[in-house]
Amino acid sequence: MATNGVDIANLVRDTIYRATLLLDDQKWEQWLELCDDSFHYAIKSYSPEISRDMTYLQGSRKELATMVKLLPKHNTDHSPLTRHTSVYTVDVAEDAKSARAISSFVVYQNMLDGVNSHIDAGESRLFLVGRYIDVFKCDDSKALFVKREVRLENRRLDKGSHWPI
Amino acid sequence: MPAKNHKQWLATPPLQSDEWVDSRIYSDPQIFEDELQNIFRRTWVPVCHESEMPKPYDFRTSTIAREPVIVCRGPDNEVRAFLNVCPHRGMLIERRPSGSFLEGQPSGNPKRITCMFHAWQFDLKGNCVYISREKEGYQDRLCKENVGLRRLRCEVKFGGFVWVNLDDNPISLEEWAGKPFSCLRKSLEAEPLEVFHYHKAVVQTNYKLWHDTNSEFYHDFMHYHNRVTGFNDAYFARKNESFEHGHVVVGTFEVNYEQYEGFESRAALSFPHLPPNQWYMIDLFPGMNFNLRGSALRCDVVTPLGPDKVMIEFRGIGLKSDTEEDRQTRINHHNSIWGPFGRNLHEDLLGVTGQGTTMLPGTEPRRILHGRHENQTIHDENGMRHYYSEWGKWMNRLPSNPDQPFVKPLAAAE
Repeated sequence: MATNGVDIANLVRDTIYRATLLLDDQKWEQWLELCDDSFHYAIKSYSPEISRDMTYLQGSRKELATMVKLLPKHNTDHSPLTRHTSVYTVDVAEDAKSARAISSFVVYQNMLDGVNSHIDAGESRLFLVGRYIDVFKCDDSKALFVKREVRLENRRLDKGSHWPI
Repeated sequence: MPAKNHKQWLATPPLQSDEWVDSRIYSDPQIFEDELQNIFRRTWVPVCHESEMPKPYDFRTSTIAREPVIVCRGPDNEVRAFLNVCPHRGMLIERRPSGSFLEGQPSGNPKRITCMFHAWQFDLKGNCVYISREKEGYQDRLCKENVGLRRLRCEVKFGGFVWVNLDDNPISLEEWAGKPFSCLRKSLEAEPLEVFHYHKAVVQTNYKLWHDTNSEFYHDFMHYHNRVTGFNDAYFARKNESFEHGHVVVGTFEVNYEQYEGFESRAALSFPHLPPNQWYMIDLFPGMNFNLRGSALRCDVVTPLGPDKVMIEFRGIGLKSDTEEDRQTRINHHNSIWGPFGRNLHEDLLGVTGQGTTMLPGTEPRRILHGRHENQTIHDENGMRHYYSEWGKWMNRLPSNPDQPFVKPLAAAE
């Protein structure tokens, strides 16, 4: 049972890495089970072209659940994504009921059907680079995502994606 | 019908000659070079929005037909465009995508456009104001007055977009695009607009295939969102209206956004003078698109990079007067469909990438059909036929057989 800040930090790291695996495996509902009801998700990037911070996608847990439910109705690039996440910092609040974590990630796109599969399938390409800025609600046994900001370095996104990152 | 053998596959389809194009126009390297020379060096390109340069001395850089371009706002608030090339030894003068000349640079002074290489400096009107060791090197043979920047035609118009033309004597921008913009002019010019979104895609396809996708709505069968929010009598009655110079406007109808689970009406944030949830689309020759879905304006600008490669810049635009809350809602409306993680844009880009895969340089020429006639309504392909008639004129090539000189299609086929 987690009883101090170090244990809470370990719970946070574990949740971030579990989320990475679930997102890679496209287990969207199980990923959302790691999120509190109040969860808010956003993909953001700063554009030096227009000198503005931008929000590329955002939504509540309910909105994300609807979005992923509708994925089968859309044509999409099915090339699986592999996220490589490294948790850099975990700051646990004094009362140990919340925590903030910053992780670095890169996302590789493992080509399947996005272009000419005969030639491209099986190749892995760097797709995204950025950071996860996460906020957690914590107790002794679990850490739940309250907020995830996916902060991209990319503004060239080519075909883009239908999936949460 | 059975599948075709090679001869049957290559046979002329039972359509008029302006109802298909030869796929070489999407893949031939020489045709691509001719397009840069004959079309992109002579037409108006919206390189950015004026809100990207809100203050005097702000600048943005861009490229048209391989030529680097810089636009900047002068101390007199005038937006001007220049070739982003130093007249000394051809260095790219400004390397950043945007910034301000109010700050000094390692090689130059504040309020000057400075070439970092040899510290030549220019004012915001393009005059050369400093040549390092001028007299020592050039004596009286060459002076600052001889070496100003290359000025380019530039206008801020149609909702604050900054239009540049490499041709010194182009048709006026008003004459070029005023009529197609008339459907949205009141909405776009009622109050200042502001860009809130930017991203780009570099995809393996020809730039015209992207413009085709913006010009034909028959591909709405690919978009689950558009089918459930759109397919009704009013949708199928939307008209494609052709305008001089190859431009097309797709008429409006009321979109039922609530039909897509999780989406909401955009009525509360409609652009000025626009009835609720309307959707207009302006397709400008040779590859610019202005797409207003009620609360958010999208602008696509193509930069052709090769016969099979194009960069598309996507901008989202709202009202400068937006509250923070309204702006966020507008951003959501824009990006839930058109953002890089939105529902429709990804599908559109998959479509044109698939076309690009079958039309690589050197692939066997084949016919690409533009032959649907539905009384010039939404699934009629008259927009593409109109575009390629204009393309043929500019290129003096017949789109259906680009080895042959252009011949105007029969009116009946239009």
